[in-house]
Amino acid sequence: MDSELIQQIRNQARSLLESGEVKGIIGYERASDGLTARPFFAYEPAAVERLIFDETCTHNLTKYLLNKKTEKMAVVVKPCDSRTINLLLNEKQIRRDMVFVMGVACPGVVETSWNHKDGTLQARCKICQLVEPLVYDFLARHEAVERPQGEPYRDVQEMETKSVTERKDFWVEQFERCIRCYACRQVCPGCYCPECFVEQLDPLWVGIRIAPKENELWQIMRAFHLAGRCIGCDECEHVCPVNIPLSLLNHKLEKEVKELFDFQAGLNPEEQPPLTTFKKEERLGFEE
Amino acid sequence: MSSEYHPKIIGFLCNWCSYAGADMAGTSRMSYPSNIRIIRVPCSGRVDPILLIKCFQQGADGVLVSGCHPGDCHYNEGNYHARRKFALLCDFLDYVGIGKERLRIEWVSASEGQRFVDKVSNFTKEMAKLGPRSES
Repeated sequence: MDSELIQQIRNQARSLLESGEVKGIIGYERASDGLTARPFFAYEPAAVERLIFDETCTHNLTKYLLNKKTEKMAVVVKPCDSRTINLLLNEKQIRRDMVFVMGVACPGVVETSWNHKDGTLQARCKICQLVEPLVYDFLARHEAVERPQGEPYRDVQEMETKSVTERKDFWVEQFERCIRCYACRQVCPGCYCPECFVEQLDPLWVGIRIAPKENELWQIMRAFHLAGRCIGCDECEHVCPVNIPLSLLNHKLEKEVKELFDFQAGLNPEEQPPLTTFKKEERLGFEE
Repeated sequence: MSSEYHPKIIGFLCNWCSYAGADMAGTSRMSYPSNIRIIRVPCSGRVDPILLIKCFQQGADGVLVSGCHPGDCHYNEGNYHARRKFALLCDFLDYVGIGKERLRIEWVSASEGQRFVDKVSNFTKEMAKLGPRSES
């Protein structure tokens, strides 16, 4: 654990709470297994001593901002999470003056599960292009951070080389296991509709039966609703209890949006999202 | 002929052009395959991807979305939005194993009865060759 980095976060958090600038801090604390991290809300200056930051802090805490719109909160963000801040600003879900962004220059996070952490970086960290958050009010930084620059979308390209039948078999097998617990949706900072289409009863878009066809419909639409909006935090995949490779779906759409519309979500809060605009002269593979 | 597969095709046609185009084909006594079941929508931009996925889920072999030619939209820009949406969706359907050839986007105007007949006949022929979705 990098104690100097943590000290910077705690000092900043304490001064924010003592001055009353924010109502609370959304950060990480040590989980009760003594090894991994869990989200933590600090409302008292004394509580900041519980804040930590290390390679097990995998959660995207910006999701909690959506429940805290009426009071100013400070949130600890990694560079990847900072793209969510931009996304939510872009979609007018949060106000910039109601959030204090405590950025952390992140050396990457590792795969964790209860009482267990891997020694290797998460797949998304291996291709991460960001060392510092894109947006922050305060930046905690200690050692110079170096990133392995992996090639993005390897997994998608591998999938694309397969035949349609192979892909179909692959996804049928994956979707079959889905228990539709909707954890992927609950954890996603981009999924904030007050009423999700899967819960609408009239019309009943998705049958309540937990069966391959209904699961397929849910999974395809979940991914597609995030087209051009997913910032690739892979939280959906982490929380999936049956380990469906959801990032494979998200990355595909991310890649398509980048190729077709030259757009990446969360890089610029002012940029017009690709599916809300158009160019008259583009063809996009369709004949006139 | 009897052994040939008869595909089920759902067509979402824009009220202002393609639906009228299909009407034109009918009033001009042109014939086209009866495999297509037509649903009239106010604009190709109204067609939500969930409608298409739902069609496939419920056993359609192919789905045709047909709207006004770019620039001719009754609502000025509905088909431009549809074009972006379906460009993404086509590739994504291919990726999840449904196959991009099963979703067809066409622009047919109200006066193009013959064009509508050609497009539907072609699409039906291709789907018949491809066979049922569950076996592809």
